Amino acid sequence: MNEKLPDSPDWTRREFLAGTSAALVVAAAAAGTLEAQTPGAAPAIAVDPAVPHSTIRLTVNGVARDVEVEDRWTLAELLRDRLGLTGTKIGCDRGECGACTVLVDDQPVYSCSNLAVWMDGRRVTTVEGLSNGGPLTPLQQAFVAHDAAQCGFCTSGQLMSATALLKRNPRPSAADVKAALAGNLCRCGNYNRYVDSVVAAGGGVRSSVGGDQ
Amino acid sequence: MPALNTVGHSTPRIDAVERVTGRAKYTNDVQLPGMLYAKVLRSPHPHARIRSIDTTRAQALPGVKAILTHETTPVVWGAGGIAGGQQYNDEVKKITKHRRYAFNNPVRFVGEPVAAVAAENRHIAEEALRLIAVDYEILPFVLEPEAALESDAPKIWPEGNIAVNNRNEPLPITQKRGDAHAAFATAPHVFEDRYSTSFVHNAQMEPRSAVAHWDGDKLTLYTPTGGISNCQHDMARDLGIADEKVRVVCHYMGGNFGNKNQNQDGDLITAMLAKAAGAPVKLEFSRKDDFIGMHGRWPTVQYYKVAVDNDGTLQAVQLRGYSGMGPYRKNSGAIGGIELYRCPNVDHVVTPVYTNRTVSANFRGPEFPQGFFGIQSMMDDVAYKLNMDPVEFGVKNMSRMFRDEVPFTNFTLEECIRRGAELFDWTQRWRPLPGADAGPIKRGAGFTYMLFRSGLGMSSAVVQVDANAKYTLFVGVTDVGAGAKTTMGLIAAEALGVPLSQVTVVWGDTDRCPYSVGESGSRTTIMTGYAVMEAVRDLKQQLAEKGMPTGSQTLVAKASPNPRLEGKVRNAFGAHFVEVEVDTELGHVRLTKYVAVHDSGRIMNPLTATSQILGAATMGVGMALHENLVYDQKSGQPLSAGFYYDRIPTHLDAPTVEVSFVENDDGYGAYGAKSIGESGIILSPGAINNAIFNAIGKRLKDLPITRDKVLGALA
Repeated sequence: MNEKLPDSPDWTRREFLAGTSAALVVAAAAAGTLEAQTPGAAPAIAVDPAVPHSTIRLTVNGVARDVEVEDRWTLAELLRDRLGLTGTKIGCDRGECGACTVLVDDQPVYSCSNLAVWMDGRRVTTVEGLSNGGPLTPLQQAFVAHDAAQCGFCTSGQLMSATALLKRNPRPSAADVKAALAGNLCRCGNYNRYVDSVVAAGGGVRSSVGGDQ
Repeated sequence: MPALNTVGHSTPRIDAVERVTGRAKYTNDVQLPGMLYAKVLRSPHPHARIRSIDTTRAQALPGVKAILTHETTPVVWGAGGIAGGQQYNDEVKKITKHRRYAFNNPVRFVGEPVAAVAAENRHIAEEALRLIAVDYEILPFVLEPEAALESDAPKIWPEGNIAVNNRNEPLPITQKRGDAHAAFATAPHVFEDRYSTSFVHNAQMEPRSAVAHWDGDKLTLYTPTGGISNCQHDMARDLGIADEKVRVVCHYMGGNFGNKNQNQDGDLITAMLAKAAGAPVKLEFSRKDDFIGMHGRWPTVQYYKVAVDNDGTLQAVQLRGYSGMGPYRKNSGAIGGIELYRCPNVDHVVTPVYTNRTVSANFRGPEFPQGFFGIQSMMDDVAYKLNMDPVEFGVKNMSRMFRDEVPFTNFTLEECIRRGAELFDWTQRWRPLPGADAGPIKRGAGFTYMLFRSGLGMSSAVVQVDANAKYTLFVGVTDVGAGAKTTMGLIAAEALGVPLSQVTVVWGDTDRCPYSVGESGSRTTIMTGYAVMEAVRDLKQQLAEKGMPTGSQTLVAKASPNPRLEGKVRNAFGAHFVEVEVDTELGHVRLTKYVAVHDSGRIMNPLTATSQILGAATMGVGMALHENLVYDQKSGQPLSAGFYYDRIPTHLDAPTVEVSFVENDDGYGAYGAKSIGESGIILSPGAINNAIFNAIGKRLKDLPITRDKVLGALA
């Protein structure tokens, strides 16, 4: 009775990614010129020298840095465990929920489903990088005003997807927002609030609470 | 109801900025020096006896620091299996025969913990799990509650499969009044039907995790719990140490939704691994671990028999219900709903049954969304059969006293229904002839109403003032997402007569906060909120006597009130109205209008209260149309464990919900606040189902109402 279970989405994200990583490591290593930089935050987790690892150069929230990563690490692991950027959340670790969404070269991606080594030469923005210690962005302000975050665990991902949307479509309609954020689940079910926040941040006036349809 | 200064005004959460900047620290964000990572090996079998476990190869893997199994660690998880399912009763936990351990042998469901490993990083821990060899003796299993009651069903416990009550007796939950049998014999109309509901997982966005470290004999546990006080006490009891030797911390939590006002097996496992390894340990559940290893709403089967007079007056209601509990009774397994109707003859028998599925437990409005779906679909059907408007049938037959005996502190159910019908435009949207729309896309309207407990009880709060008139409120809430921290601050500010900005709230840490009832049962605002008012009352008295403190002095007041209701029952009320559009060619159901009216007493913060209703109604859409932890009947394997396969609602599934509150102050709770967090989900599955009937003229009876079922009903 130890045969493969009949459902089969058992093929984990890490096993899947590991099968594709070696070739991409080579490609990534060729792309970057290495330049020593001191990371801003003390690394919480050290690289295990016994496993394959690489040094990559990437820009995180506007700061260029060289980072040593284990080749098996996801981008989410790099951000959370190595760089201490825990605002990025892991909700499923298999590309289903969007809680781990970050921007890579301004495009929203699931950081649980991208390997850290793939980020060589890329520009990564996390929730911490939206206001970067300064005043909240209009989108963050709208999230506060509209009570978009209930438990808050999916909020970073919603913010990142919405930030990318506003960049390419500064005045989105409610339908635009729903389509762009469809990959960001919220179990608190606060979708009406999220849509209102993003529409309001784009300058539109819409309250789905008591709303249209 | 006179307006107040602070309470009742929409106020953004006091921690909203932390939540939108990534600064809010959740359990898995805690990083301790020298911390190890833990993973749990789970049973791949629905029922099996463990002959042996060989951990030698895993032990030998470099970086592995501790391994626990049922042989090394025979610790009882008291909250994991309770006779009668009474969550907060230590005495019953002690006498419970069908006990659940942190690691059990035999294992009784796929996903039950078999071993746990702590290692230097999560990759080594994962690898170590693969090196543990378990020799299982496969046992026969049973998945469905009715099948489990057959005489030849595999026995999950030696005494059989009826879940035992708080005296360890295999007896159902019963409620009787009058003589239903006699009424069925004489009534002009008798209707019978069967409804069923599925196992729906909490599926909170934050997968379970825990961080434990021991400082000498004192344990600090970071864990996502809705009740730090109850979790602390549970941990102390299970580990056999004093309460004060356990500190529980939960500052942010990625969703609760039920059965988290206590400790979990993962908490115990993490604490014991940290002890065994002599180092801090972080346990991380995968999403699949969370889905199959935790708990969700108990699935039910409900057989109704209803007797009605010619004028539509209800004469008798009988329910034979069966709830699938998984192999342990974590909670009651009750099926609510009978209390919705004024009825002289009631015969209600619900049997909670052990099965070899993932364990069932309290999930947002524990027994009500299931039961209200069943009885409100049944009664909707009866109304049509009597040629009555379901709204008029409801108003005619709804309860006006609790169980037809005890008066409510206030009663606004009819007002909720009438206001909802008006806001929704019921007379225009409801089709007197179901399924009458021409063409493949058909619209229809449905409604349900509810009442839900809002009782009083004991909780505590401490409030302090210093010489600079800075007020600090200490409350043992964790803020699971409902906004309790902000609500407590608002109540304190109101009672003190100061702006909210002058009140600092300290929360989520048993070393700093007094006992709190915990965030379950929609009780925090009512009970802890009232304790805040009482503490402030005491502080103001001290201030009047002693004046403001000076220098480094402070004044401190603590209150632990335990208010009681005499001869009355306190309930929240509500009604939901839904319009759907059913594509009869594709079976797709789309919600085109949704109105939710609630009496939750005085609303403390309309901004967050509205969010509660929006979110709960949306969660109910998932229960109505999508969610089901599907099992393969031959192998006993769960097939849909995870967000994607379980299909929890997305942005594209969420209806636009219009929320309206019928506000009042009945003089109890904090400024008249009543329960709110659970109310929203209780109503939506029934309302959606009734709207589908109105659209297509076919009655769906089994949740979730997936497209194949809609098409099957139309075929």
